[in-house]
Amino acid sequence: MRVTILPDRRVEEMEPSTVAEVLKRLGLHSDAYLVVRDEEILTRDVRLRAEDAVDVIPVISGGSCAA
Amino acid sequence: MRCIKCRKPANVEVRRHRSAFCAGCYPGWFRDQIERAVSHDKMFTRDQKVLVAVSGGKDSLALWHALHQLGYQVDGMYIRLGIAEYSRRSQAKSEAFAEKHGLTLHQVDLEGDEGFKVPDLAHERDGKPCASCGTVKRYHFNKLAADLGYSVVATGHNLDDEAATLFGNVVHWQTDYLGRQGPVLESTHPKLVRKVKPLYRLAERDTAAYAVIERIDYILEECPMAKGAKSLEYKDLLNRLEETQPGAKHRFLVGFLKQGRQAVKGAEPVTLRECANCGQPTTAEVCAYCRMVERGKRRKALRA
Repeated sequence: MRVTILPDRRVEEMEPSTVAEVLKRLGLHSDAYLVVRDEEILTRDVRLRAEDAVDVIPVISGGSCAA
Repeated sequence: MRCIKCRKPANVEVRRHRSAFCAGCYPGWFRDQIERAVSHDKMFTRDQKVLVAVSGGKDSLALWHALHQLGYQVDGMYIRLGIAEYSRRSQAKSEAFAEKHGLTLHQVDLEGDEGFKVPDLAHERDGKPCASCGTVKRYHFNKLAADLGYSVVATGHNLDDEAATLFGNVVHWQTDYLGRQGPVLESTHPKLVRKVKPLYRLAERDTAAYAVIERIDYILEECPMAKGAKSLEYKDLLNRLEETQPGAKHRFLVGFLKQGRQAVKGAEPVTLRECANCGQPTTAEVCAYCRMVERGKRRKALRA
Protein backbone atom coordinates (compact mmCIF):
# COMPACT_ATOMS: atom_id res chain seq x y z
CA MET A 1 0.00 0.00 0.00
CA ARG A 2 1.45 3.35 -1.05
CA VAL A 3 0.87 6.41 1.16
CA THR A 4 1.82 9.84 -0.21
CA ILE A 5 2.03 12.63 2.38
CA LEU A 6 1.34 16.08 0.97
CA PRO A 7 2.45 18.80 0.37
CA ASP A 8 6.02 17.41 0.17
CA ARG A 9 4.83 14.20 -1.59
CA ARG A 10 6.87 11.99 0.74
CA VAL A 11 6.03 8.36 -0.07
CA GLU A 12 5.75 5.55 2.51
CA GLU A 13 5.07 1.90 1.75
CA MET A 14 2.86 0.30 4.43
CA GLU A 15 1.15 -2.96 5.22
CA PRO A 16 -2.61 -2.85 4.51
CA SER A 17 -4.59 -1.40 7.42
CA THR A 18 -7.43 0.99 8.24
CA VAL A 19 -7.25 4.74 7.57
CA ALA A 20 -7.11 5.37 11.34
CA GLU A 21 -4.13 2.99 11.62
CA VAL A 22 -2.30 4.75 8.75
CA LEU A 23 -2.55 8.11 10.55
CA LYS A 24 -1.55 6.53 13.86
CA ARG A 25 1.54 4.92 12.32
CA LEU A 26 2.52 8.26 10.81
CA GLY A 27 1.94 9.98 14.17
CA LEU A 28 -0.68 12.34 12.69
CA HIS A 29 -3.89 13.65 14.29
CA SER A 30 -7.07 12.57 12.55
CA ASP A 31 -8.44 16.12 12.94
CA ALA A 32 -5.46 17.60 11.09
CA TYR A 33 -5.45 15.39 7.95
CA LEU A 34 -7.71 13.98 5.25
CA VAL A 35 -6.97 10.63 3.62
CA VAL A 36 -7.99 10.52 -0.04
CA ARG A 37 -8.07 7.64 -2.54
CA ASP A 38 -8.89 8.39 -6.21
CA GLU A 39 -10.22 11.86 -5.27
CA GLU A 40 -12.54 10.27 -2.69
CA ILE A 41 -12.20 11.13 1.02
CA LEU A 42 -12.09 8.07 3.27
CA THR A 43 -13.44 7.77 6.81
CA ARG A 44 -11.12 6.33 9.47
CA ASP A 45 -12.82 2.90 9.53
CA VAL A 46 -12.13 2.15 5.83
CA ARG A 47 -9.83 -0.86 5.40
CA LEU A 48 -7.24 -0.28 2.68
CA ARG A 49 -5.92 -2.98 0.35
CA ALA A 50 -2.34 -3.80 -0.59
CA GLU A 51 -2.83 -2.34 -4.08
CA ASP A 52 -4.27 0.98 -2.79
CA ALA A 53 -2.54 4.33 -3.20
CA VAL A 54 -3.74 7.09 -0.86
CA ASP A 55 -2.85 10.75 -0.34
CA VAL A 56 -2.62 12.23 3.16
CA ILE A 57 -3.61 15.90 2.96
CA PRO A 58 -2.88 18.37 5.79
CA VAL A 59 -5.74 20.70 6.67
CA ILE A 60 -4.04 23.04 9.16
CA SER A 61 -3.04 26.56 8.23
CA GLY A 62 -1.33 29.04 10.51
CA GLY A 63 0.03 32.55 10.91
CA SER A 64 -1.74 35.65 12.06
CA CYS A 65 -5.16 35.24 10.55
CA ALA A 66 -7.09 33.52 7.83
CA ALA A 67 -7.89 35.87 5.00
CA MET B 1 -19.45 4.19 8.44
CA ARG B 2 -22.69 5.34 6.78
CA CYS B 3 -24.05 8.75 5.78
CA ILE B 4 -26.60 9.84 8.40
CA LYS B 5 -28.79 11.31 5.65
CA CYS B 6 -28.92 8.67 2.89
CA ARG B 7 -27.15 5.62 4.43
CA LYS B 8 -24.63 5.39 1.58
CA PRO B 9 -20.98 4.77 2.58
CA ALA B 10 -19.72 7.93 4.29
CA ASN B 11 -16.79 10.06 3.14
CA VAL B 12 -16.56 12.71 5.84
CA GLU B 13 -16.90 12.05 9.54
CA VAL B 14 -17.72 14.97 11.85
CA ARG B 15 -16.81 13.45 15.20
CA ARG B 16 -17.87 16.41 17.36
CA HIS B 17 -21.43 16.03 15.99
CA ARG B 18 -21.27 12.20 16.02
CA SER B 19 -22.16 12.43 12.30
CA ALA B 20 -20.87 11.28 8.94
CA PHE B 21 -21.87 12.23 5.40
CA CYS B 22 -21.33 10.90 1.90
CA ALA B 23 -19.79 13.17 -0.76
CA GLY B 24 -23.28 13.86 -2.15
CA CYS B 25 -24.85 14.99 1.15
CA TYR B 26 -21.81 16.69 2.73
CA PRO B 27 -21.78 20.01 0.77
CA GLY B 28 -25.42 20.62 1.70
CA TRP B 29 -24.67 20.02 5.38
CA PHE B 30 -21.61 22.31 5.20
CA ARG B 31 -23.54 25.16 3.56
CA ASP B 32 -26.38 24.67 6.02
CA GLN B 33 -23.91 25.21 8.90
CA ILE B 34 -22.80 28.48 7.30
CA GLU B 35 -26.39 29.57 6.69
CA ARG B 36 -27.18 28.88 10.37
CA ALA B 37 -24.17 30.89 11.58
CA VAL B 38 -25.04 33.82 9.28
CA SER B 39 -28.63 33.79 10.54
CA HIS B 40 -27.91 33.01 14.24
CA ASP B 41 -25.35 35.82 14.56
CA LYS B 42 -27.23 38.17 12.21
CA MET B 43 -24.11 38.56 10.04
CA PHE B 44 -25.70 39.81 6.81
CA THR B 45 -28.67 39.36 4.50
CA ARG B 46 -29.04 38.57 0.81
CA ASP B 47 -29.69 42.30 0.17
CA GLN B 48 -26.23 43.29 1.38
CA LYS B 49 -22.99 43.33 -0.63
CA VAL B 50 -20.39 41.19 1.14
CA LEU B 51 -16.62 41.33 0.55
CA VAL B 52 -14.86 38.03 1.21
CA ALA B 53 -11.20 38.31 2.25
CA VAL B 54 -9.47 35.77 0.00
CA SER B 55 -6.01 34.21 0.47
CA GLY B 56 -6.11 31.37 -2.06
CA GLY B 57 -6.32 28.87 0.82
CA LYS B 58 -9.07 26.35 1.50
CA ASP B 59 -11.01 28.38 4.08
CA SER B 60 -11.49 31.62 2.18
CA LEU B 61 -12.20 29.90 -1.15
CA ALA B 62 -14.61 27.40 0.46
CA LEU B 63 -16.38 30.32 2.17
CA TRP B 64 -16.61 32.32 -1.06
CA HIS B 65 -17.88 29.24 -2.94
CA ALA B 66 -20.48 28.35 -0.29
CA LEU B 67 -21.83 31.90 0.09
CA HIS B 68 -22.10 32.21 -3.70
CA GLN B 69 -23.93 28.87 -3.87
CA LEU B 70 -26.27 30.06 -1.11
CA GLY B 71 -27.21 33.09 -3.22
CA TYR B 72 -25.42 35.86 -1.33
CA GLN B 73 -23.89 38.86 -3.15
CA VAL B 74 -20.21 38.11 -2.62
CA ASP B 75 -17.12 39.63 -4.19
CA GLY B 76 -13.56 38.77 -3.21
CA MET B 77 -10.51 40.74 -2.18
CA TYR B 78 -6.93 39.54 -2.39
CA ILE B 79 -3.82 41.30 -1.02
CA ARG B 80 -0.53 40.67 -2.81
CA LEU B 81 1.65 40.29 0.27
CA GLY B 82 4.92 39.78 -1.60
CA ILE B 83 5.84 36.44 0.04
CA ALA B 84 7.77 35.29 -3.05
CA GLU B 85 6.56 32.09 -4.76
CA TYR B 86 3.88 31.46 -2.12
CA SER B 87 2.18 34.78 -2.95
CA ARG B 88 2.42 34.20 -6.69
CA ARG B 89 0.78 30.79 -6.34
CA SER B 90 -1.96 31.94 -3.96
CA GLN B 91 -2.73 34.91 -6.24
CA ALA B 92 -3.03 32.56 -9.23
CA LYS B 93 -5.39 30.24 -7.29
CA SER B 94 -7.58 33.18 -6.22
CA GLU B 95 -7.74 34.63 -9.73
CA ALA B 96 -8.50 31.22 -11.28
CA PHE B 97 -11.32 30.64 -8.78
CA ALA B 98 -12.88 34.05 -9.49
CA GLU B 99 -12.67 33.48 -13.24
CA LYS B 100 -14.13 29.95 -13.07
CA HIS B 101 -17.16 31.13 -11.09
CA GLY B 102 -17.57 34.51 -12.82
CA LEU B 103 -16.95 36.45 -9.59
CA THR B 104 -15.30 39.83 -8.99
CA LEU B 105 -11.90 39.82 -7.28
CA HIS B 106 -10.48 43.14 -6.06
CA GLN B 107 -6.73 43.27 -5.40
CA VAL B 108 -4.26 45.39 -3.45
CA ASP B 109 -0.59 45.20 -4.44
CA LEU B 110 1.38 45.91 -1.28
CA GLU B 111 4.74 46.47 -2.98
CA GLY B 112 3.34 48.44 -5.93
CA ASP B 113 0.90 50.57 -3.91
CA GLU B 114 2.69 50.88 -0.55
CA GLY B 115 6.36 50.25 -1.32
CA PHE B 116 6.96 47.27 1.01
CA LYS B 117 6.33 43.52 1.27
CA VAL B 118 5.27 41.45 4.28
CA PRO B 119 8.74 39.82 4.72
CA ASP B 120 10.10 43.38 5.27
CA LEU B 121 7.97 43.53 8.43
CA ALA B 122 9.59 40.62 10.29
CA HIS B 123 9.58 41.13 14.04
CA GLU B 124 12.99 42.07 15.46
CA ARG B 125 12.78 39.45 18.24
CA ASP B 126 11.37 36.30 16.58
CA GLY B 127 11.94 37.21 12.92
CA LYS B 128 8.26 36.54 12.11
CA PRO B 129 6.01 38.99 10.28
CA CYS B 130 2.74 37.18 11.21
CA ALA B 131 1.48 39.85 13.63
CA SER B 132 2.31 42.64 11.15
CA CYS B 133 0.75 40.62 8.31
CA GLY B 134 -2.46 40.52 10.37
CA THR B 135 -2.34 44.32 10.76
CA VAL B 136 -1.77 44.72 6.99
CA LYS B 137 -4.74 42.47 6.14
CA ARG B 138 -7.14 44.05 8.66
CA TYR B 139 -6.19 47.55 7.46
CA HIS B 140 -6.54 46.93 3.73
CA PHE B 141 -9.63 44.72 3.89
CA ASN B 142 -11.37 47.43 5.91
CA LYS B 143 -10.12 50.32 3.78
CA LEU B 144 -11.04 48.73 0.46
CA ALA B 145 -14.45 47.60 1.73
CA ALA B 146 -15.22 51.11 3.05
CA ASP B 147 -13.91 52.81 -0.11
CA LEU B 148 -15.99 50.55 -2.39
CA GLY B 149 -19.16 50.71 -0.28
CA TYR B 150 -19.32 47.13 1.08
CA SER B 151 -21.22 46.97 4.35
CA VAL B 152 -19.55 43.82 5.62
CA VAL B 153 -16.26 41.90 5.29
CA ALA B 154 -16.36 38.11 5.73
CA THR B 155 -13.19 36.21 6.64
CA GLY B 156 -12.44 32.48 6.54
CA HIS B 157 -11.61 32.11 10.25
CA ASN B 158 -12.74 28.64 11.27
CA LEU B 159 -13.32 26.82 14.55
CA ASP B 160 -9.64 25.81 14.82
CA ASP B 161 -8.44 29.39 14.19
CA GLU B 162 -10.83 30.80 16.75
CA ALA B 163 -10.15 28.13 19.38
CA ALA B 164 -6.37 28.61 18.92
CA THR B 165 -6.71 32.40 19.23
CA LEU B 166 -8.84 31.98 22.35
CA PHE B 167 -6.32 29.54 23.81
CA GLY B 168 -3.45 31.98 23.15
CA ASN B 169 -5.36 34.88 24.67
CA VAL B 170 -6.17 32.80 27.76
CA VAL B 171 -2.57 31.58 28.16
CA HIS B 172 -1.36 35.18 28.07
CA TRP B 173 -4.49 36.60 29.79
CA GLN B 174 -5.04 39.18 27.05
CA THR B 175 -8.31 40.33 28.55
CA ASP B 176 -8.75 43.22 26.11
CA TYR B 177 -8.50 40.80 23.15
CA LEU B 178 -10.71 38.23 24.92
CA GLY B 179 -13.44 40.82 25.36
CA ARG B 180 -13.43 41.56 21.63
CA GLN B 181 -13.20 37.99 20.28
CA GLY B 182 -16.33 36.78 18.53
CA PRO B 183 -17.92 35.89 15.19
CA VAL B 184 -19.09 39.47 14.61
CA LEU B 185 -17.10 42.66 15.08
CA GLU B 186 -19.60 45.50 14.92
CA SER B 187 -18.89 48.77 13.17
CA THR B 188 -18.34 51.50 15.76
CA HIS B 189 -17.13 54.17 13.35
CA PRO B 190 -18.38 55.30 9.90
CA LYS B 191 -15.08 54.13 8.34
CA LEU B 192 -15.00 50.80 10.20
CA VAL B 193 -16.73 48.06 8.21
CA ARG B 194 -18.49 45.22 10.07
CA LYS B 195 -16.40 42.00 10.17
CA VAL B 196 -17.93 38.53 10.32
CA LYS B 197 -16.64 34.94 10.48
CA PRO B 198 -19.28 32.60 9.00
CA LEU B 199 -17.01 29.50 9.36
CA TYR B 200 -16.46 29.88 13.11
CA ARG B 201 -18.42 26.70 13.95
CA LEU B 202 -16.77 24.62 11.19
CA ALA B 203 -13.41 22.90 11.70
CA GLU B 204 -10.45 23.19 9.34
CA ARG B 205 -10.99 19.55 8.43
CA ASP B 206 -14.60 20.39 7.44
CA THR B 207 -13.55 23.20 5.09
CA ALA B 208 -10.77 21.09 3.55
CA ALA B 209 -13.27 18.26 2.95
CA TYR B 210 -15.68 20.74 1.31
CA ALA B 211 -12.89 22.06 -0.93
CA VAL B 212 -11.88 18.52 -1.99
CA ILE B 213 -15.47 17.42 -2.71
CA GLU B 214 -16.36 20.65 -4.56
CA ARG B 215 -13.09 20.42 -6.55
CA ILE B 216 -11.92 23.83 -5.33
CA ASP B 217 -8.29 24.29 -6.37
CA TYR B 218 -6.63 25.91 -3.34
CA ILE B 219 -3.04 26.45 -2.21
CA LEU B 220 -2.15 23.49 -0.05
CA GLU B 221 1.24 24.68 1.17
CA GLU B 222 1.57 26.43 4.48
CA CYS B 223 2.65 30.08 4.35
CA PRO B 224 6.48 29.80 4.65
CA MET B 225 6.53 32.75 7.06
CA ALA B 226 4.12 30.95 9.46
CA LYS B 227 6.44 27.99 10.16
CA GLY B 228 6.87 27.75 13.93
CA ALA B 229 4.06 30.25 14.57
CA LYS B 230 2.45 30.03 18.01
CA SER B 231 -1.00 29.57 16.43
CA LEU B 232 0.19 26.27 14.91
CA GLU B 233 1.48 25.11 18.28
CA TYR B 234 -1.86 25.90 19.91
CA LYS B 235 -3.74 24.09 17.13
CA ASP B 236 -1.57 21.03 17.64
CA LEU B 237 -2.28 21.03 21.38
CA LEU B 238 -6.01 21.41 20.81
CA ASN B 239 -6.03 18.64 18.19
CA ARG B 240 -4.33 16.32 20.67
CA LEU B 241 -7.16 17.06 23.09
CA GLU B 242 -9.76 16.61 20.34
CA GLU B 243 -8.36 13.16 19.55
CA THR B 244 -9.44 11.84 22.96
CA GLN B 245 -12.28 14.30 23.62
CA PRO B 246 -14.19 14.92 20.37
CA GLY B 247 -15.96 18.28 20.54
CA ALA B 248 -13.46 19.82 23.00
CA LYS B 249 -12.55 22.69 20.62
CA HIS B 250 -16.20 23.44 19.92
CA ARG B 251 -17.12 23.41 23.63
CA PHE B 252 -14.13 25.62 24.46
CA LEU B 253 -15.03 28.28 21.88
CA VAL B 254 -18.82 28.22 22.02
CA GLY B 255 -18.76 27.99 25.83
CA PHE B 256 -16.56 31.09 25.92
CA LEU B 257 -18.83 33.01 23.54
CA LYS B 258 -21.91 32.09 25.57
CA GLN B 259 -20.55 32.41 29.09
CA GLY B 260 -16.98 33.67 29.28
CA ARG B 261 -16.83 36.66 26.96
CA GLN B 262 -19.29 38.77 28.93
CA ALA B 263 -17.21 38.32 32.07
CA VAL B 264 -14.07 39.81 30.52
CA LYS B 265 -15.73 42.48 28.39
CA GLY B 266 -14.54 45.95 29.33
CA ALA B 267 -17.14 48.24 30.84
CA GLU B 268 -16.21 51.20 28.66
CA PRO B 269 -16.63 50.96 24.87
CA VAL B 270 -13.46 51.76 22.91
CA THR B 271 -13.57 55.24 21.39
CA LEU B 272 -12.33 55.45 17.80
CA ARG B 273 -11.00 58.50 15.97
CA GLU B 274 -9.36 59.04 12.60
CA CYS B 275 -5.62 58.45 12.17
CA ALA B 276 -3.76 61.76 11.87
CA ASN B 277 -1.75 60.29 9.01
CA CYS B 278 -4.15 58.20 6.85
CA GLY B 279 -7.63 58.97 8.19
CA GLN B 280 -8.52 55.35 8.97
CA PRO B 281 -10.25 54.55 12.29
CA THR B 282 -7.94 53.98 15.26
CA THR B 283 -7.79 54.28 19.03
CA ALA B 284 -4.47 56.17 18.89
CA GLU B 285 -3.27 59.44 17.36
CA VAL B 286 -1.57 57.47 14.55
CA CYS B 287 -2.96 54.02 13.62
CA ALA B 288 -1.10 50.71 14.13
CA TYR B 289 -0.67 50.31 10.37
CA CYS B 290 0.99 53.70 9.84
CA ARG B 291 3.24 53.18 12.88
CA MET B 292 4.23 49.75 11.56
CA VAL B 293 5.02 51.09 8.08
CA GLU B 294 7.09 53.88 9.61
CA ARG B 295 9.05 51.37 11.74
CA GLY B 296 9.65 49.24 8.63
CA LYS B 297 10.98 52.23 6.69
CA ARG B 298 13.33 53.20 9.52
CA ARG B 299 14.72 49.64 9.75
CA LYS B 300 15.12 49.52 5.96
CA ALA B 301 17.04 52.82 6.00
CA LEU B 302 19.32 51.53 8.79
CA ARG B 303 20.06 48.35 6.82
CA ALA B 304 20.81 50.33 3.61
